[in-house]
Amino acid sequence: METTTANVKQQPAHPDFAAKSESKWKLIVKNYEMYVLLLPGLVFLLLFKYTPMYGILIAFQDFNIFDGISGSKWVGLEQFRKLVYSDEFVQVFINTLLISLYKIVLLFPIPIIVALLLNEVKRMLFKRTVQTIIYLPHFLSWVIISGLFINILSPSGGLVNQILQWIGLDPVSFLLDNRYFRSVVVFTAGWKEVGWNAIIFIAAIAGIEQEQYEAAAIDGAGRLKQMWHITLPGILPTIVLVFILRIGHLLDAGTEQILTMYNPVVYQTGDVIGTYVYRVGLGKMDYSFSTAVGLFNSVVGFLLIILGNTLSRKLLKRSIW
Amino acid sequence: MKSTSLSDRCIDLFSYTVLTAMALATLLPFANVLSKSVSEEWAVVSGKVGIFPIGFQLDTMQYVITSSQFVRSFAVSAGITAVGTLLSILLTAISAYPLSKRHLPGVGAILVLYIFTMMFNGGIIPNYLLIRSLGLINSLWSLILPVMISVFNLLVIKSYFESLPEALEDSAKMDGARTFTILFRIILPLSGPVIATIALFYAVYFWNDFFNPMLYISDPSLKPLQLYLRDIVMDADSSSAITKSVDDMMNVSGEGVRAATVIASTVPIVLVYPFLQKYFIKGVLIGSVKG
Repeated sequence: METTTANVKQQPAHPDFAAKSESKWKLIVKNYEMYVLLLPGLVFLLLFKYTPMYGILIAFQDFNIFDGISGSKWVGLEQFRKLVYSDEFVQVFINTLLISLYKIVLLFPIPIIVALLLNEVKRMLFKRTVQTIIYLPHFLSWVIISGLFINILSPSGGLVNQILQWIGLDPVSFLLDNRYFRSVVVFTAGWKEVGWNAIIFIAAIAGIEQEQYEAAAIDGAGRLKQMWHITLPGILPTIVLVFILRIGHLLDAGTEQILTMYNPVVYQTGDVIGTYVYRVGLGKMDYSFSTAVGLFNSVVGFLLIILGNTLSRKLLKRSIW
Repeated sequence: MKSTSLSDRCIDLFSYTVLTAMALATLLPFANVLSKSVSEEWAVVSGKVGIFPIGFQLDTMQYVITSSQFVRSFAVSAGITAVGTLLSILLTAISAYPLSKRHLPGVGAILVLYIFTMMFNGGIIPNYLLIRSLGLINSLWSLILPVMISVFNLLVIKSYFESLPEALEDSAKMDGARTFTILFRIILPLSGPVIATIALFYAVYFWNDFFNPMLYISDPSLKPLQLYLRDIVMDADSSSAITKSVDDMMNVSGEGVRAATVIASTVPIVLVYPFLQKYFIKGVLIGSVKG
């Protein structure tokens, strides 16, 4: 704030600028209490959000915890070279992309369909009951959900294997088999969030004007036609927006979920960037390398979000920030 | 004038069938695990329990909810949730209020600082090193302080504040009210629904968090419920220490204990859930329309 006044004194040649700064300064003094309110949040932001960004420097070091960032040896891009040439990382990257793409392709359309179907239901009690039930898993932690599914998928007496055996098939160790692990991850993610993800489309449908339906009905359009020509176009901007946001999280394949489900047997297909950073960084104490992996993740994620927002601004004339 | 054309009836049939199936598929895993937690030990061990319990006993449940570690972890989680939610709401609200006054110099820039952290962060290791150098490893503050402001929640509250009529504040100012008074006596009391929604989101976050405790907490007496639950759930080998001692001690099975622990940890959320529903639906509307 002092620099503002200093500027004013140093630049008398620009009276407009000086006057503007003067009034700015007055505005600040008059509203100093507003700035006091901002302070605790700023301390939080600088300490817990921006200080770790400074810590990213160790990705360019051979970091030693006893020497700290200032004392550790700089190695330039060595960690990133290691990353690109590591077969393990390449596999982890492929796993991340595959799981994330499966989740998008298979799970993205379902909430839209659920919202459309709920919109066709005219019995309020039924509608509310279904909504209450399908939102519930969203509020439970991944530990609980994984607990449920580890139980259900257990080869010794899990419900699914009971059914498999009942129809004459061999029991399957879903969580210990590389052939099934990704499917389990995608299915359980859908089970947890599909209902909740429908909420935004339900809200969008509620925003469509009722007159449009009445007009269509008079013109003789049945409910299927109304759905196709009114409801779907009505929520299209929301669909595109949610899709773009989703793309921004392409490299986030569900770290918490996989951490609570996997085990060394399925690292080959289940290890994703988030879990890998945790495993190598804190498990093997390879701080510099896993920070480099994390930085790679952050940068790509950041670029994807920027890309998505630019697309959204172009296509929808609406940006997320 | 009811139209009962064939295609319309097909739509009805399809909607009701699919939605009913979805609701049942959501409930099924709960039914199964609940049944396992109250079925007789032999039925659980031999893998016969389906949707309905076989026999009935509450020994397993009693064993789980009276185990000292469960009680301790439950208390830790309840404490973190209460303190964390209160501090988060307070900090988020007092930060959102000035941020809703975009005409004030510097406010826009600070908002950018916040939003940037939604898109870019230091990552697990730099965060861990920060917590470590602050001496917060094995301190419950490590689970609260670093996550006190969720930028998404901040933006939701900010846009709600922006929607309040400015005349309210102007007239209060004329009566001589100052910023703090206006915020705590006028703005916040008018923001009940949005504050309740955000409180719910924070509370669910603190109650469910297991990632941060996994990074920062190793002292068993400080383990929150989710971390304790994870130890039990991931301990899939039934011959291991936790479950074996159980098998020897009582007529309860390790698998039954896992099931009962899952159920016991789910109950708090299921109990408060119906009361919160109206808030989160409202909250999502606010968040999605303006966020």
